[in-house]
Amino acid sequence: MGSKYPPSMRRCLPLWTLVLEAALIVIFFFFTSYDTSSQDPKKLAGTFRVLQDVTIMVALGFGFLNSSLRRYGWSSVAFNLFLLALGVQWAVLMDGFLEQSFRKKVVIKLSSIKLATMSAMSVLISAGAVLGKANLLQLTLMALVEVTVFVTMRMIDRQYLSMDSHLSMMHIHVFATYFGLMVAWSLSRCLNKMVMEEKNQTAKSSSLFAMLGTLFLWMFWPSFNSALLDVPKERKNAVFNTYYALAASAVTAISMSALARPRGKINMTHIHNAILAGGVAVGPSCHLITTPWLAMLLGFMAGLISIGGALCLPASFNHVLGIHDTCGVHYTFGLPGLLGGIAYILLIIYEVSWIKKSVISYQLFIGAGTLSLAMASGLIAGVLTGLVLNLKICKAPHAAKYFDDQAFWEFPHLAIGF
Amino acid sequence: MKLSFPFTAIVLEISMIVLFGFFVKYETEQNAIQQQLNITNSTKVDRSLELHPLFRDVHVMIFAGFGFLMTFLRKYGFSSVGINLLIAALGLQWGTFIQGILHHHGQTIYIGIKNMINADFSTATVLISFGAVLGKISPAQMLIMTIIEIAVFAGNEYVVGEIFQASDIGASMTIHAFGAYFGLAVAGVLYRPDLRRGHEKEESVYHSDLFAMIGTLFLWMFWPSFNSAIAETTEQQYMAIINTYFSLVACVLTAYAFSSLVGKRGKLDMVHIQNATLAGGVAVGTCADMEIHPYGAMIIGSIAGIVSVLGFKFLTPCLTDKLKIHDTCGVHNLHGLPGVVGGLASIVAIVFRASKASSVVMQAAALGSSLGTAIVGGLITGLILRFFVCGLSSTEFFFDDSVYWEVLYSVKNVNDDYTSESFAHLKPQSLFAS
Repeated sequence: MGSKYPPSMRRCLPLWTLVLEAALIVIFFFFTSYDTSSQDPKKLAGTFRVLQDVTIMVALGFGFLNSSLRRYGWSSVAFNLFLLALGVQWAVLMDGFLEQSFRKKVVIKLSSIKLATMSAMSVLISAGAVLGKANLLQLTLMALVEVTVFVTMRMIDRQYLSMDSHLSMMHIHVFATYFGLMVAWSLSRCLNKMVMEEKNQTAKSSSLFAMLGTLFLWMFWPSFNSALLDVPKERKNAVFNTYYALAASAVTAISMSALARPRGKINMTHIHNAILAGGVAVGPSCHLITTPWLAMLLGFMAGLISIGGALCLPASFNHVLGIHDTCGVHYTFGLPGLLGGIAYILLIIYEVSWIKKSVISYQLFIGAGTLSLAMASGLIAGVLTGLVLNLKICKAPHAAKYFDDQAFWEFPHLAIGF
Repeated sequence: MKLSFPFTAIVLEISMIVLFGFFVKYETEQNAIQQQLNITNSTKVDRSLELHPLFRDVHVMIFAGFGFLMTFLRKYGFSSVGINLLIAALGLQWGTFIQGILHHHGQTIYIGIKNMINADFSTATVLISFGAVLGKISPAQMLIMTIIEIAVFAGNEYVVGEIFQASDIGASMTIHAFGAYFGLAVAGVLYRPDLRRGHEKEESVYHSDLFAMIGTLFLWMFWPSFNSAIAETTEQQYMAIINTYFSLVACVLTAYAFSSLVGKRGKLDMVHIQNATLAGGVAVGTCADMEIHPYGAMIIGSIAGIVSVLGFKFLTPCLTDKLKIHDTCGVHNLHGLPGVVGGLASIVAIVFRASKASSVVMQAAALGSSLGTAIVGGLITGLILRFFVCGLSSTEFFFDDSVYWEVLYSVKNVNDDYTSESFAHLKPQSLFAS
C-alpha cells in the first residue's frame, strides 16, 4: 500500500525552500545595492510598463496556458508562480554576477528585474514539458540549474560570439524546449499507458482556463519581443512585426486545425499552442524585417509547422523516443523557435550579400553557432538535470500519481473516496 | 429586497450626482483659472497623464483582482464579482468627494488622475472589509457600509497623513489593517451562532478555487504599481517598485514552505497559496519608499508570508470559536496581520535610519489610530447594519447566489454535475469502473 501514496513532502520541501530563501536574503545583503543615479521619470515609467507586461505574460499567461489538464489545474498555476518567484531572484543574482564578474555589488535596476523575469521564463517553458511528472522539489532544482545554464549561455553569446542582448534572449525558446524535453525524457520512462490515458486529458472548463492564459500571452507578446531593444526604430519594427506574425499564425492555426480533422472540427488544444507560434518564430528577426508581409509569411509558416507538429509529433517522435511532452512544448516553442533562428540567418545573409560577399560565411557561422549552442546546451543540461532529478533524495512521485493534484494538495471539501 | 436595495442604490447615486454637481470640477478648469492669473502650470497636467498607467493598474487590481479573489465559494461567485463591482463603483464616487472635501476644507474640488487613484484606494478598504462579511450580508447593507466606512477611512487617513505626518506610501496601515479590522468588527457584530459548526454552502469546488487564483495573480502582478502609485518623486517610486517586487517574490517562497509544513503529509493548501502569497505586498507597503534595501524587503516579505499562513492555520479557527468572529475570506491573515507587520516594520526601519520623513512615535501613533478607528467604527457600523438596515433573515440564505441573482438553471444541480463530472475519480465506485 505504501507505494500508492506519494511520499510526504513535509520533511524536505519546507526545509529546502526556507534554506534557499535565507541564503538568497544573505546573498542579497552582501552583494546588492540600489541604483543611486538620478532617475529620469519618463524612462522609469517606460521600463516599468515593459516589466509589467512581461510579468503579466509569465505569471498569468504561462500559469494558465498549462492548466488544461483535467486534474492538474491547481498545480500548474501555483507551481508556475513559485518557479517564477524563485527564478527571478536567482536570475537577478546570476545576471549581475556574470555581467560585472564578481568585482562589485550588483546594482538592481528595473531593467535588471525585467531581464531576470525573461530569463526565468525559460524555466516556465520547460515546466510545460515535465508538467505533472515532477514534484515541487524537483522543479525547484530544475529551476536553479536551468536559470544558471541559460544565463551562462547568454553571457557566452554576448562576450565570445558578439551577439546582442535581444538575439541571445530570443534563443530562449529553443533552449528551454530541449532542456524540458530531455528532463521529461528521463522522468517519463516509467510512465505506463493506463495512467496517461486516464488522466492526461482535458476537460471543457479547464480548456477555457488554458485559453485565458493563451490570450494573455498572445496580447502581450509584442512587448516581450521588443523588451530588450533600445533603438526606438527597431523597437517599433519589432512591435509591428510581432503583431502581424501573431495575427497570421492565429488564422493559420485555426484554419489548419479545422482542415486536419475529420468533419472540419477545430481542436482546442491546437489553438492553445499554435496561435502563439508566430510570435516565437518572428522573435529573433523581428527588428530587422522592414515589411509586414515578411512577418506575416513567417507567422503563416510557424502556424503550419506548429499544427503539423501537433499532429505528427506525439504519435511518431515522442512515441519512438519515449518522451512524454505534456503541454506540447516542442511544437509550441521548439519548432517555431528553430524556424525563427533559421529565418534570422537567411535574413542576415540576404542583407549582407548586398554589401560584401566575404562576410557571409562568417555571419553564417556565427548565426548557426549560436542556434546550435542554444540547442546543445539545452540538450546536455537537460539530460544531466534529468539524471539528478531521478535520485532518491528528490522523493519523486510514483508514476501512478502523475498528473494528479491530489498528490500535492489538500482537498478538505472533496475527500469523498479517500 | 425588492424595494430596499433599488431604493437605497438610486437615492445614493442621485445624491452623488448632486454632490458632484456642486463641489467637483476638472483639474483643467483650475489650470485655466491659474493661467488667467498668469501662473503657468502646464507641467501638472503632464504629470497627471504620466500617472494614468499606474491608475489603470490599480483599477485592474480593484475590479479584477479583488473581485476574483473572492470567487472561491461554490455558490457565491456571481455575488463576489458582481457586488464587488457595485460597491467599488459607488465607493470611488463617494471616496473622491469625501477625500476632496477633507483635503480642500470644504471648497471646490479639482480632480485629476491622482484623485482617481486615491478614490480607488479608499474603495480598497471597503472591498477588504467585504471579504470578512462575504456571504453574510445583503447588498443594501453593503451599500450603507460602503458609505460609512469610506467616511471613517477618509477621516483616519487625514489624521495619519496631515496631523501625524506619518509615512504610509503603500497604505499598509490606513488601508489594509484598517479595512481588515473594520470588517472583522462588523462581522463580529453580525455573528450568528449557526456559523460556529460551519455552513454547508461555505465551501469551494475545484474550479471556483482556480477562479480565485486569477484574482490572486492579478493582485500579485500589479502590487508594485499599487505601492508606488502615490510616490512623490521618481526616486521614491523606483524604490517602492523594487522593494515591493522583492518582498512579493520572497513571500511566495516562504508561503509555500509553511503551507507544506503545516499541511497533512506536507501537502499544500490552496487557501494559503491564494492569500498568503500576497501578504508580502501588504507588509512592505508602509516602508516601500524607504531605503530598506532589497534584502530588507525580502525579510519583511518572508515574515509576512509565514505570519499569514500560520494565521490561516491557527488563528482563524480560534477567532470563530472563541471570539465569535466569522471571517469568510480570511482577511485578517491577508490584510490585518501583514498590515500590522508593515506598521511595525516601518518603526524598525526608522530606528535603523532608513528614512527621515517620519519619526517612530508618529508611525506608532498612526498604527494605533488606524486600528482604534477601525475597530470602533466597525462596531458602530455593525450595530447600525444589524438594527436599522434589513439583512438576511436566516442563515440558510447565507453564501447563496440564488437569493439575489436570477439563476436560470438550478445552481444545486449544476454544481453537483460539475463536481461529479470533474471528480469522478474521487468517488469510490468509479475506481472500479472501466
